Amino acid sequence: MSDPTTMIELQDVHKSYGHLEVLRGIDLLITKSEVVVVIGPSGSGKSTMLRCINALEPIQRGHILIEGIDITDSKTNVNKVRQKIGMVFQSFNLFPHKTALENVMLAPLKVQKKSHSEAERIARDLLVTVGLSEKADSHPDQLSGGQQQRVAIARALAMQPDMMLFDEVTSALDPELVAEVLNVMKDLALAGMTMVVVTHEMGFAREVGTRMIFMDEGVIVEESHPREMIANPREERTKKFLGMVL
Amino acid sequence: MESLLNGFEAFQRYYLNWEIIQETFPLLLQTLPLVLELLVLSMVFSFVLGLILSLMRLSRFRPLRWFAGAYVDFFRGLPLLLNLVFVYSGLAIVGAGSGLRFLILPPITAAVVSLSTTYAAYSAEVFRAGIESIHRGQMEAARSLGMTYAQSMRYVVLPQAIKVVIPPLTNEFIALIKDTSLASVISLQELLFTAKEKMGVVANPTPLAVAAVVYVIFTIPLIRLASRLEKKRDRGSKGTKPTDGSVDKPSALVSADIATQLPKGGGVR
Ligand SMILES: Nc1ncnc2c1ncn2[C@@H]1O[C@H](COP(=O)(O)OP(=O)(O)OP(=O)(O)O)[C@@H](O)[C@H]1O
Ligand SMILES: [Mg+2]
Repeated sequence: MSDPTTMIELQDVHKSYGHLEVLRGIDLLITKSEVVVVIGPSGSGKSTMLRCINALEPIQRGHILIEGIDITDSKTNVNKVRQKIGMVFQSFNLFPHKTALENVMLAPLKVQKKSHSEAERIARDLLVTVGLSEKADSHPDQLSGGQQQRVAIARALAMQPDMMLFDEVTSALDPELVAEVLNVMKDLALAGMTMVVVTHEMGFAREVGTRMIFMDEGVIVEESHPREMIANPREERTKKFLGMVL
Repeated sequence: MESLLNGFEAFQRYYLNWEIIQETFPLLLQTLPLVLELLVLSMVFSFVLGLILSLMRLSRFRPLRWFAGAYVDFFRGLPLLLNLVFVYSGLAIVGAGSGLRFLILPPITAAVVSLSTTYAAYSAEVFRAGIESIHRGQMEAARSLGMTYAQSMRYVVLPQAIKVVIPPLTNEFIALIKDTSLASVISLQELLFTAKEKMGVVANPTPLAVAAVVYVIFTIPLIRLASRLEKKRDRGSKGTKPTDGSVDKPSALVSADIATQLPKGGGVR
């Protein structure tokens, strides 16, 4: 294990769905407290890369190491490794049969085997953190999109992960609800959380991101500091893409 | 006009003969504990076995999938009547010939075995469609929290799937009630058997009419209940916000075969 501050390491990662090669050799090293913003056109493989990092998809070639542990090794207990990684999805994926509080409590209860009172204390604290303490007993269908997404962030944080993956978590939201979610993420970043954020929110990227990665057709085309890349993209494809989203 | 009256009188004499009704009704009531026993045991066994089969069918292990698929296909294709006769008479012959006496089953046991094995196949399809109707994002969210496949199924997917499958399972229960009557061919003294016996004695089909009434008294409320549950469930799913994205339309359940395109085993280790 080279550097103890290395959180995520991708080595020559190839991923295909049938004949469609979606990731074509990704190398990436993310260290502690970095906020890596991933941008790129639709279908470029951004979601797929996050899903592979969380071992939700098998890869065909290469290695993915989480805090030095190779998750592509079949002997690795991926359930253990996933506990270190929080993931938040575009479509929230809250558990609709459970209240906000129960959504947040479930994993501490069942995975970490915490006592009910301990899990509830953690969950209530987190709901306060994301500004939803008064919604603890609401079911997801009684919450706005922004509120649901904040519960989803609290749910991921309940496992006290070392790093968080965000996949276009604001794209399904009405414009006026985007800020409340981004603010929660900003606070997380300021607290030193290691984050990989797929987003088209360039304001957030500029303000919070420590590094920006532009992906296209399954490869990393360009990477630099967000402000640098937004101001002076080196590659033609990056220029073209940024021209469309800015 | 006269022939019409004659016809009416004949109908009444043969199908609604008051004396025979009075004799038959208590006879049929006496069979109810047996019918109930058959019904409850078959329902419990078939639901449990069906749930296990559906989980096997969705498993990542090919042999389990193959076995469950073959089981479901076989028993869906097999006439229930043949299943009954085989389990009762067929096994009894084998048992008598080979000295394996435990194969000689009493009618009630044979009926429970054959109804359970056949209805397990139907239930398995209902459960499978129910589980597949739960958006795969639910399983992924659970797995991303570090839950195992089994924990995710138990705490996240199945509680949602159960709600979806209750209406179709109610329909299945109704069919099961009606199919208990098939056990009359293996001389189980249930409703139809008893009514038929009485019909022979009085040389009048009124007992059949009484039996018919008893069946529909039980089935019609359940039919109503099933359609109410279905409406409630579908209304419930429309009520959730469209951005929620967590539950697919349960109407996919109307046909158990629609939701088959998902990758088997989900690829999540
Ligand atoms: N389960 C799957 N089966 C087959 N192909 C898939 C699957 N998931 C994704 N793909 C394909 O892989 C490619 C990359 O998809 P991915 O979702 O990673 O892109 P993305 O960069 O996240 O795009 P978007 O910005 O639209 O979310 C696409 O061509 C997509 O159609
Ligand atoms: Mg995506």
